[in-house]
Amino acid sequence: MSAFFVHKEAVTQWIRHLARSNTVYFPQRAGQSGFRFKPVKETTEIQFDRYQPTLAPPGKKLAPAEEPLFRYRKQGDAAPELVPILDQSPRILAGVRPCDLKGIHLMDRANREGHGDPHYLTRRTHTILIAHDCLQPCDDSCFCDAVGSLGWRDNADLFLTSLEDHILIEVRTGPGETLIQGMNFPVCTDVAAVKSRAEAQRAQPFGRQFHADLARIPAIIASQWQAPVWEKQVERCFSCGSCNLVCPTCYCFDVHDDFDLTDPNAGQRTRTWDGCMLPQFAEVAGGHNFRPNPAARQRHRVKRKFEYLTERFAEGSFCTGCGRCGRQCTTDIDIFNIVNDLIDHAEANS
Amino acid sequence: MSATPHASDPAIDPALYLPRMARILEVTPLTAREKYFKVELPEPLGHRPGQFVMLSLLGVGEAPISISCGPRADNMLEMVIRDAGSLTHVLHGLKPGQQVGVRGPFGSGFNLDDFYGKQVLCVVGGLGLVPMRSLIQPILAQLDRFASLTIISGCRSPAEELYRDEVRAWERLGQETGKVRVIRLVDRTQNLPWDGQVGLVTAPLSSLPIDPAQTVVALCGPPVMYKFVLLELTARGLSHAQIFVDLERRMKCGVGKCGHCQINHVYCCQEGPVFRFDQIAHLPEALQ
Ligand SMILES: Cc1cc2nc3c(=O)[nH]c(=O)nc-3n(C[C@H](O)[C@H](O)[C@H](O)COP(=O)(O)OP(=O)(O)OC[C@H]3O[C@@H](n4cnc5c(N)ncnc54)[C@H](O)[C@@H]3O)c2cc1C
Ligand code: SF4
Ligand code: SF4
Ligand code: FES
Repeated sequence: MSAFFVHKEAVTQWIRHLARSNTVYFPQRAGQSGFRFKPVKETTEIQFDRYQPTLAPPGKKLAPAEEPLFRYRKQGDAAPELVPILDQSPRILAGVRPCDLKGIHLMDRANREGHGDPHYLTRRTHTILIAHDCLQPCDDSCFCDAVGSLGWRDNADLFLTSLEDHILIEVRTGPGETLIQGMNFPVCTDVAAVKSRAEAQRAQPFGRQFHADLARIPAIIASQWQAPVWEKQVERCFSCGSCNLVCPTCYCFDVHDDFDLTDPNAGQRTRTWDGCMLPQFAEVAGGHNFRPNPAARQRHRVKRKFEYLTERFAEGSFCTGCGRCGRQCTTDIDIFNIVNDLIDHAEANS
Repeated sequence: MSATPHASDPAIDPALYLPRMARILEVTPLTAREKYFKVELPEPLGHRPGQFVMLSLLGVGEAPISISCGPRADNMLEMVIRDAGSLTHVLHGLKPGQQVGVRGPFGSGFNLDDFYGKQVLCVVGGLGLVPMRSLIQPILAQLDRFASLTIISGCRSPAEELYRDEVRAWERLGQETGKVRVIRLVDRTQNLPWDGQVGLVTAPLSSLPIDPAQTVVALCGPPVMYKFVLLELTARGLSHAQIFVDLERRMKCGVGKCGHCQINHVYCCQEGPVFRFDQIAHLPEALQ
């Protein structure tokens, strides 16, 4: 498909232009704490260079913390009226980094498997992704290269690469194409040359690396069910679930009903994020808890990212290496270190 | 310019979380904590033994509940519900004529093909009798297709016994046909009248007159029960491939999405809740 090589100032104008007739989210500085994906306004600073991973990943716009599944109205003895709530409002997520782009790809896989989740998939259909490559690691916490997210571009509608004061815009889908229609951007005549110049600027090695090849990690972790690493790594864990909340590939949920305060016959069934690190996540009636302690829960979280879902979907990893869980944990528990500890422990005992 | 969306996704199932409404026909207390419900759906449920539904009340909530009746051509669904929390408590207050929401059937269930021609052994503890009845009913309905049926059913005390009359009817059928054996046990009689045995469901296993090579077992009960029953069965020479277990996990969706029901990498609501034991015996979380 087509590609354009555009001055950064023109790209900024284009994003603002898109935001006049669409909801466009772009990572914007929010206080001291870092960046958040927020709707672009006329005054929004659009810059691609100074970026730290946002607090919440952009994929959460497709699965909000709380969302109605359906509304109901009881009608006496007759069948109640049930109306599924599917969000068809269009949105553009711009400035999405490869790790988060991969995160959305993984969420697509999970939500399309078996019974396709109508709420996620409807939003996904109405979402266009403008991704942007990373030539330098965001900070010391990320490890996207180690899990194969760096350079991920499969599900981008448009993929952008910054090179000095220009940006290479690669069009990858029809919906992506419509976004640049009428812009008269200068066509890039030698995409390969631009890319190789950008590639030459990419940091080497790129961020933190595991002590073993990614392909070996599922088997290594599978062999470490009883490892002391689990206990050691959660000594300080509060079971607060923050690591689940910020993860681009955590999608577990809880469901509850609310009735309208003004009309007890009407209301909605709502789902909210849940997290496998929370103590009651696997508790059943009668009080039996299938993962009663933090070590068992942490093991489950790590195995979901690096073994269970990875193997179920034949993806290299269900952790995108975004580093958010490590960044957010108030007690500095970092999944990267857990995995490396497991690798070291396995090597030492083999 | 406004963005054009991607092509509509054929995987989207708009009604995935919408319940069908069913009308309550009968509510009967079985014990102080459990009530039997018979409800009528708009069309047949079309289930297999061992499957479950997500049962809900609008404005209150939704929970996984076992299907307690065998496959049937009419629109009826039978369940037994223990008053265990917010939703189940409100359910206990419902009367015939009122409506409940039903999604499903969900899960693997039992496949009768695995049981035809065999000496079937059902081992149940407590509420486990509720889903097991959905297997026992179709076996009794075509008894000539099975070598025999043995039911070992235990509960804590005589006051907690479920389906009292029906279980005794099974017992009488056994006396008439010689093909059905029912062993009823309680942990303790608690000074109540009791016409069965006292002890755990594991007790009768060692001396049970079965041919291990011809036996297939279905197992459903509280988590603690499985380990001990499996030990006894293994001691009798049964392999894990001859044993089907019905497992319980927290479940919030029934459709493989909410993540609550995972047993290691396995989704209990999808691949389970009934498993041939050799297929999950290696999972460390299976019998915790
Ligand atoms: C496959 C399956 C079949 C079941 N069959 C039956 C049945 O036939 N009859 C019956 O009475 N019960 C059955 N249960 C248990 C039943 O689902 C719970 O008792 C019910 O969810 C409690 O809901 P509540 O709103 O009344 O309780 P709550 O007020 O929500 O909580 C009360 C207790 O129930 C536990 N609990 C909450 N939600 C769930 C959940 N989704 N799954 C499991 N436990 C939960 C809580 O940890 C707490 O200990 C089954 C469970 C499963 C997984
Ligand atoms: S954020 Fe840290 S303390 Fe909180 S549950 Fe996760 S690992 Fe434990
Ligand atoms: S597990 Fe941590 S590093 Fe991996 S994707 Fe989730 S939040 Fe990012
Ligand atoms: S019950 Fe939700 S994934 Fe199984």
